[in-house]
Amino acid sequence: MDYLVVAVVAGLAAVERKGFLQAMLSRPVALAPILGLALGDLPGGLLLGPPLELLWLGAVNMGASLPPNEALGTAAIAAGAVLAGKALGTGVTPAVAVLAVVLAGTLAVLGRTTDRAIEEWNVRLAARAEALLDRGSPVAAVRENLYGMALPFAVSALLTPVAAAVVAWIIPAVLHAFPTVDVPLGWGFAALCGLAAAAGARAFRSAPGIGLFAGAAVVTFAVGWLAGGTR
Amino acid sequence: MSVPAATLRRVFWRCLFLQAAWNRRGMQNLGFAYAIDPALRRLYADPGRRIEALRRHFATFNCHPYTAAAIVGGAIHHEERVAAGEEPPGAPLAYKQVLQGPLAAVGDGFFWAGLRPFFGALAAVGTMALGWPALVASLAVYNALHLWIRWSLFRAGHRCGDEVVTRLAALSLPTWAAHLRKGGAVLCGVAAGLFALSAVGRLGPGAGFLALATAAAGLGALGLRARLLPSAYAAIGVGTAAGMAAQVFGGGR
Repeated sequence: MDYLVVAVVAGLAAVERKGFLQAMLSRPVALAPILGLALGDLPGGLLLGPPLELLWLGAVNMGASLPPNEALGTAAIAAGAVLAGKALGTGVTPAVAVLAVVLAGTLAVLGRTTDRAIEEWNVRLAARAEALLDRGSPVAAVRENLYGMALPFAVSALLTPVAAAVVAWIIPAVLHAFPTVDVPLGWGFAALCGLAAAAGARAFRSAPGIGLFAGAAVVTFAVGWLAGGTR
Repeated sequence: MSVPAATLRRVFWRCLFLQAAWNRRGMQNLGFAYAIDPALRRLYADPGRRIEALRRHFATFNCHPYTAAAIVGGAIHHEERVAAGEEPPGAPLAYKQVLQGPLAAVGDGFFWAGLRPFFGALAAVGTMALGWPALVASLAVYNALHLWIRWSLFRAGHRCGDEVVTRLAALSLPTWAAHLRKGGAVLCGVAAGLFALSAVGRLGPGAGFLALATAAAGLGALGLRARLLPSAYAAIGVGTAAGMAAQVFGGGR
């Protein structure tokens, strides 16, 4: 049942990302918590959403360019991490989260390849629409546009559960075999979060923004430290 | 001859599917034809004229999906004049061809490089600081804003036709985008600080300083055009190695 939920949510996210609405629901900051909620671990999704959002903040579809498919990557990472956390009985810990990123992060890059293939496939839909218009069927011709959402849905709905299953199988095996790596992987997660924040700042392509980023990081850390806000 | 308000609302709804069948040949052509079809059905009672009108909207079209709403509205403005015999049939196509590039640039610069990443960073910081209510609030504000702007652009395009450019220029979107980019960078800095504080709480001061050091190193590496995912894997590797060292030498929890 969990994998069916993963398939449906990932498929809908793939449609929302480009084909319909674009309301940020397929962005990592929203998608990871949505998947966490759907699979019964909202805190796990909330742990993953912010760093993944910042990591892929610059993944935007400008013109005909194709960025990494951050929705596909996030869906596989979040679903895999939540299912692994359930299998371990710990929920999504930083160690689980970072292993999920290592195992499923490349799916975002694979997603760029599938996106390109989908855009090529859609040329056929456009040609078929023109043929229908030539035959005097304007309603059927424009309806072809909606069929363009089927393939992105199907690709994500198939790839994500498979990737999540692999992640959910490997992570418990690794953490059971090497229980002492839990803490070092927590450090790895901290480092990933730091890099994600930097990637987010770079995504804004603002020269003054770099100084502002550094200043805000130091001030937030110093104020939080002095106020005892470590948690 | 003008398109009724209910039909305009239907066209706007269909604008949300503009990229449903984005393709490498005509790009958003199929989406544009799908969006404008209800208006054409109203304007051209004769099936032959309707098909002829629809065919001109199958021409290659590509724009930012948000600002394209202005062009859909403007294209209806011109189709109304074509249907009334006040303009030649090529006028809507010429309008689209002239405006799609500039409006794509405005949309990419404001929405994709400014507003959306700003709200992404805001949602991330809000989630870390306040939990899911802040996430929901950030998404609600973003969606209210972009839907309002899309609807306003669509209405302005329909009412003003070519004048929509003047209306758009009055919004000073590039200036707002520059402010949003600076604000977004600040939010990412706040996020880096919060990540570091969280790491201190979980693993001790060393992990917090590691998070800040990785942010600084990442800023430099990505500025030198290092690739994102390999950089992330390198950060994880270095962080995990540092954690092992801390564990061995008794510094980590």
